[in-house]
Amino acid sequence: MKNKAIFAENVSKTFKDVQAVKGLDFQVNTAECFGFLGPNGAGKTTLMQILIGRCRRDTPDKSIVEIFGFDPEIQELEIKYLSGVVPQEDNLDVDLSVRQNLLIYTRFYGIKKRDAQERIDELLDFMDLSEKKDSKIRELSGGMKRRLIIARALINSPRLLILDEPTTGLDPQVRQHIWDKLRQLQKDGVTILLTTHYMEEAFQICNRLIIMHKGEKILQGSPKNLIWENMESYVLEILNPDLVTGVKLSGDIRKEETETRVFLYSENFASLDNIAGSMKPGSFFLRQANLEDLFLRTTGRKLHE
Amino acid sequence: MSKWTETLQVTPPPLLSRLFSVWYRHYRVYTKNLISNGFPPFIEPLFFLAGIGLGLGHYVGLIEGVEYVKFLAAGITIPPAMFTASFECTFGTFIRLEYDKVYDGMLSSSINVKDLIIGEMLFAGSKSFFFSSAVLFVVSLFGLIPSPYALFTPFVGFLTGLMFAALSLFITSFVTNINHFNFYFTGLLTPMFFFSGIVFPLSEMPRGLRIAADFFPLTHAANIARSFCFGNFSLSLYLDLIYIICFIIVLTFFALIRLEKRLIT
Repeated sequence: MKNKAIFAENVSKTFKDVQAVKGLDFQVNTAECFGFLGPNGAGKTTLMQILIGRCRRDTPDKSIVEIFGFDPEIQELEIKYLSGVVPQEDNLDVDLSVRQNLLIYTRFYGIKKRDAQERIDELLDFMDLSEKKDSKIRELSGGMKRRLIIARALINSPRLLILDEPTTGLDPQVRQHIWDKLRQLQKDGVTILLTTHYMEEAFQICNRLIIMHKGEKILQGSPKNLIWENMESYVLEILNPDLVTGVKLSGDIRKEETETRVFLYSENFASLDNIAGSMKPGSFFLRQANLEDLFLRTTGRKLHE
Repeated sequence: MSKWTETLQVTPPPLLSRLFSVWYRHYRVYTKNLISNGFPPFIEPLFFLAGIGLGLGHYVGLIEGVEYVKFLAAGITIPPAMFTASFECTFGTFIRLEYDKVYDGMLSSSINVKDLIIGEMLFAGSKSFFFSSAVLFVVSLFGLIPSPYALFTPFVGFLTGLMFAALSLFITSFVTNINHFNFYFTGLLTPMFFFSGIVFPLSEMPRGLRIAADFFPLTHAANIARSFCFGNFSLSLYLDLIYIICFIIVLTFFALIRLEKRLIT
């Protein structure tokens, strides 16, 4: 029974004095969307680079990385031939047009000339860029550039799509558009690996995810289960800490405090609602717990940089 | 063999196809601005011929039995090959590496570091071939090239391009600040231009300089190019050729090791 696309065990990476990835284990099923969630510097990008052979993992004989039967230490080209990569930073050829950018990449994959044109048209259509096919890269908006980079990653019909923070800095429409496309690709059998620090993105499109912090795996599971298993169901977020200094909290409420806010967590909606009832509208949010709460709880509220 | 995942059958493109795809990428980007990129090698030789050949040549008698302007015309087919390959593989490479992140994209497609570097060198060599051809064409228009063997000089330009591409890539692998290339151009390439037998023959130079010139790659390329232009051949040209080939192989080897370290962390 081999329906796995990626198998990784005990993966570590040490740069001079920093251990960027620490003994990570994970497995990704075929046609699954698998996310790596973590603050900046958690080791997400390093991990992606290990998978495509841009970064050599520590002690390769004591660890395993296998992608569709290939080890990036020795079969880098095979893996890259099967994969599409969307990098964190835009790296289009700014002197070339949209179509030419894709054409160059068809050559890198050895796609025949007559198939190339067809594939390019297909992808421009898929990413809704057909009208821009002759535009210069400088004339494209940030969202269009991102969509073009995704189209470029799809040029060789990859079985694995690796996206490193694909929607960072994009407006909500573009993000929704990209998520739709990723869902569609997944339906067509493409395995998707994604890093993000947007909780909503992880929640919306990942079947399973890992929360990483300082190179380590902290939690793993489906987004819903992770919240369910590790968090209270409801949160009362109070914008002014003074409002709750005198309030007595019942035993089913957990309190977290920052300098400017108070968070009250509970399984019991009524006890939170009770406290909120005494406050002015607009001074609090009473809501369901989400991935962001879990993320901040597990990775801490302080800046990591 | 695979034990854990679904194994797929794949055949990534063969080496030649990968090298060509890298070459093709550079070719497309370069020819995008063909007029501004392509005109200098047609114009520069005119300045040399007029400024130095006619101006200075007036005061110079025969050099090695030929008019100075002819001596110069044969020599200047090679330095543009050196300079264009050097620019391509210093500033060009550095910008692709650090600023435009072009290599990041290429290396995530079905290309490895060796393909990238050797493809880059082949493109630099091609550019050098083109630059030498352009100069040869212009100086021939003035009837300054006596031998039809001169048609082979662009190939010497190509080899010159490979030498300086390899050397430049090796240098680039150490550079973290783009301004540091000034040391390379002013400190190494400029003196090489003057002391490699391009603008005056080495035979009249002090002994120390002649020995130094023998180590300069440009000297050997200029020797061969001039022999083709005049149709004068001697056995020592084999030594020049051997020097060139060894230089290319050794420097490419070190450039590859260094850049692999820089690109694969």
